[in-house]
Amino acid sequence: MIELKHISKWVMIGGKPNFILKDVNATVNEGEFLSIMGPSGSGKSTLLNVIGMLDEFNEGEYRFFHEEVHRMKEKQRSNLYKQYIGFVFQAYHLIDELTVYENIETPLIYQDVKSSERKAMVADILDRFNIVGKKDLFPTQLSGGQQQLVGIARALIARPKLILADEPTGNLNSKQGEEIMNLFKQLNDEGVTIIQVTHSEKNAGYGKRIIHLLDGRIEREE
Amino acid sequence: MIKHYFKIAIRSIARQKILSGINVLGLSIGIACFSLFLLFAVNEFNFDRFHKDAKNIYQVYLWNDAYGDNEAEGRIHHPMPLAAAMKQDFPEVMDYTRFRNAWSENFVRIASNDVRRVKISYADPHFFNIFSFKLKYGNAATALNDLYSLVITKTKANELFGSDNVIGRTVQVKMEEEFIPFTITAVTENIPSNSSINFDVLGNFEYLEKVSERKSALNWHRFGFLTYVKLQQGSGLPNDAAKLSNFFAKHHPDQVTELKKSGVNWKNGVFVYRYGLLPIEKVHTNTFTQGGPVPNIDPKIIWILLSIAAGVLLIACINFTTLSIGRSAGRAKEIGVRKVMGSERRQLVAQFIAEALVMSLLSSIISVLLMQLILPWFNQLSGRDLHFSVAQFPELIWMLAGLVLLVGILAGAYPAMVLSGFRPIEVLKSKIRVGGSNFFTKSLVTVQFSLSVILIICTIIIMQQKQYMTDKNPGYNKENILVVDAEETKSKQIFPLFKQALEQRSDIEGITSAELSFSGNMGWSQSGFDYNGKHKSVFEYFVDNNFINVLGMQMVTGRQFDPTIASDTIKSVVINETMMKEFGWTMQNVIGQKLTGYYDDSSMFAKTPEVIGVVRDFNFMSMKEKISPQMFHQFASYAPFKFFVRLKPGNPSSAIAGIQKTWSSLVPSLPLKYSFMDEDLTLFYKDEQKMNSIIAFAGGISIFLACLGLFGLAALAAVNKTKEIGIRKILGASVSGIIGLLSKDFLKLVVIAFVIAAPLAWFVMHQWLQDYAYRINISWWVFVAAGASALAIALFTISMQAIKAAVTNPVKSLRTE
Repeated sequence: MIELKHISKWVMIGGKPNFILKDVNATVNEGEFLSIMGPSGSGKSTLLNVIGMLDEFNEGEYRFFHEEVHRMKEKQRSNLYKQYIGFVFQAYHLIDELTVYENIETPLIYQDVKSSERKAMVADILDRFNIVGKKDLFPTQLSGGQQQLVGIARALIARPKLILADEPTGNLNSKQGEEIMNLFKQLNDEGVTIIQVTHSEKNAGYGKRIIHLLDGRIEREE
Repeated sequence: MIKHYFKIAIRSIARQKILSGINVLGLSIGIACFSLFLLFAVNEFNFDRFHKDAKNIYQVYLWNDAYGDNEAEGRIHHPMPLAAAMKQDFPEVMDYTRFRNAWSENFVRIASNDVRRVKISYADPHFFNIFSFKLKYGNAATALNDLYSLVITKTKANELFGSDNVIGRTVQVKMEEEFIPFTITAVTENIPSNSSINFDVLGNFEYLEKVSERKSALNWHRFGFLTYVKLQQGSGLPNDAAKLSNFFAKHHPDQVTELKKSGVNWKNGVFVYRYGLLPIEKVHTNTFTQGGPVPNIDPKIIWILLSIAAGVLLIACINFTTLSIGRSAGRAKEIGVRKVMGSERRQLVAQFIAEALVMSLLSSIISVLLMQLILPWFNQLSGRDLHFSVAQFPELIWMLAGLVLLVGILAGAYPAMVLSGFRPIEVLKSKIRVGGSNFFTKSLVTVQFSLSVILIICTIIIMQQKQYMTDKNPGYNKENILVVDAEETKSKQIFPLFKQALEQRSDIEGITSAELSFSGNMGWSQSGFDYNGKHKSVFEYFVDNNFINVLGMQMVTGRQFDPTIASDTIKSVVINETMMKEFGWTMQNVIGQKLTGYYDDSSMFAKTPEVIGVVRDFNFMSMKEKISPQMFHQFASYAPFKFFVRLKPGNPSSAIAGIQKTWSSLVPSLPLKYSFMDEDLTLFYKDEQKMNSIIAFAGGISIFLACLGLFGLAALAAVNKTKEIGIRKILGASVSGIIGLLSKDFLKLVVIAFVIAAPLAWFVMHQWLQDYAYRINISWWVFVAAGASALAIALFTISMQAIKAAVTNPVKSLRTE
């Protein structure tokens, strides 16, 4: 599904390149649950963003479902991730002006899904996540765990093949965190590919495979 | 999708209540101000278009380019027989009407002991066939058929009779010595505020022709009557200068011969003096004919007003733009999320434009309400009766709709482009700081403040010039002079009795009389004659022998009129210094000079006037005009229509009561009408006064709007610098230090704005002052004051925000990061 070859990314500081990612090679197959670990500044979030096509890289090749991402224009990339990828953020990043329902609906609007279909899809997912009663609330009226639940629902609404999660439990207490991780596991069992970035050994343990990053390089794999 | 956009727009407007409020309020004021001026301009440019035949109606003017300078002018007051002659000579002339505007008031007795002063104008019976004034009661075709008929406007009828259904009522109008019955035959609807013809009461012109001014009926040398003609559709007559020159020559042969003698000649079949035809739609907005019933307006002024209004609107739009960018500080995250969710750039642009449109629509609705509030006051200011009436001006609908779209897109486009261009990953990592800090928003704020400073400076200088004109010593003592209007009375007999009765009072210092007073609405009399082969024109004032003394003018040489010298009333004149110089005389030889060529057309015996004294130059007209040659005389054929009473300084009420009593005993049938001279003089500046108030109004609005914008930007700066402020406070920064930090950047912009504005304002005002013969010098302190006040207002606005930010507990602000 994902094939990264010799990916490098750097910024120039004082005329010298300062590597954020250096010669990263990795392959992710469909149905995997991959955790990326590493200390602060090791480049794990950047790697996730590169995979999610939100960030660019300076060197290397990236194939997504055998399509050559490094040769694509921004618009094509955007169409690609719109179709296949859902994002979950540490700070949830819900839109404050929209209700739970509308937040979840937004990606469908941008994918030109018909109104009646949107209704059915959102109703489905609200039901599944047990948040039907909260659909008309605004994000600020929810607890962190509930917000993240909405965030995940929003990421899943367009039925993506891949979920990218950047420290999804970073802002949650341990009980809420556990619930979210169980949810990911369940999703993975249903066939969704998941890549998460995390600090926590325990959360990393939910994954089937762990990549350890250090100073922009893959240090080891478990 | 569109529904979605508008839903989001309304919610995000509702979320940031204060900023949206500032935004909408500013824009509403801007739009209201602009629409008001637009309405005024539309009204001015639509003058006289409501007549059904407007395209074929022309006002006749006399084109005079004899002196070949650039001050060619048209005269609209013509001899009585002109209209009929035009109809006879030109088959294209289908119909005509003459119009005599009411210069003074007639006494009208409406009940046995109720006499009022009413202005009566006169027009030919066809008046209502040519023009489309609506009648409320009566028949347009026959209303003016009878010599003794009167047509009255609805308002005037209500004022006089307390009702407007007054057809058939008879009133007595004082003509010469006796009251003559006239019958009201029609009542008109109110004259539209965009008509260049105006009247309260209209009589039959043929009454003048056949009864009261028979002498003028066939006389080509008595001027004073406006003439309007209706031409055949598509007639080429208005452009046929040769035909119109010939027509002039045919009817003024003596004048043509005179002019030929002094070297004025025909060129290509066209003469420098000729009649011209001005389309009625252009009458109001031309500058070369003056003196109609409604003062003309210089189209330049309309455009100036419109540009001021556009400036105010621009300021409001700039506010809108900077604040929208500013408001995005809190929305960057939303944009990032939307992009990650798959939104395309154009969808975001559409979303922001939709938001701007909602705001501008909201503002327009509020502005229409605002206008309803301001209109009555604005009408008073502009002297027009404007209504925000779509029925009257259908173009207002699309103008307003266009304005909403234009403002929405103009003000929304830039923020939309900037905001939609964010790279999502950077926004989500909160790397981007937005609001109030980029070059573009800085330039916008600078432009805003430049415009405001210019308007402040202009307002101050205009006010100064106005103050200067009212305060400047006109060369005589204008204070404490009461002017009694004795027109339509036997003033020649009354005056001596009036003087005798009041002279002994201790609260009265002196009494004199003259034919005319010096004031903005009194007119003047000017005679032209050839002196030593050169054409001279002189303003003349018929006065009582002690006039110069009582008004307090100063003699520079010679003597004043002497009641004991009989010849003084026949041939003596006192002239001003300007006239002495103009005629080439000196202080040494001026006394005894004779005004050869002058003839007094109303006296039976023409004597050559002789100079007996010279008075120091004084301003007898507006300070806009240079003092012209002028003379006083006592020629017996004139009548003293104005009585001047110099009161002792202090409370005038007892003196006024005395004057009232004397007047009632002398003229029991007519009410006393008086005014104070210093107040009359301000009438010279009535129109300017209106303009000045409008400009000051716009200036105030623009400053207010600019501050509103600054307030919003300062609020954003405070938000954006929350973390910095928190850190600085922990490191020990004082409150004043923080305020300085926040204010510095903005104050710099205000200073730059001042540097741009000052020379521009100086240039504009320098040009403006050239119109005034007597004017102030622009002083440096005006600029300092304007700059300082702009700075002070800006500082005040910013510090309201800065103080709030500075006193916040730093722990609180840092925790949220």
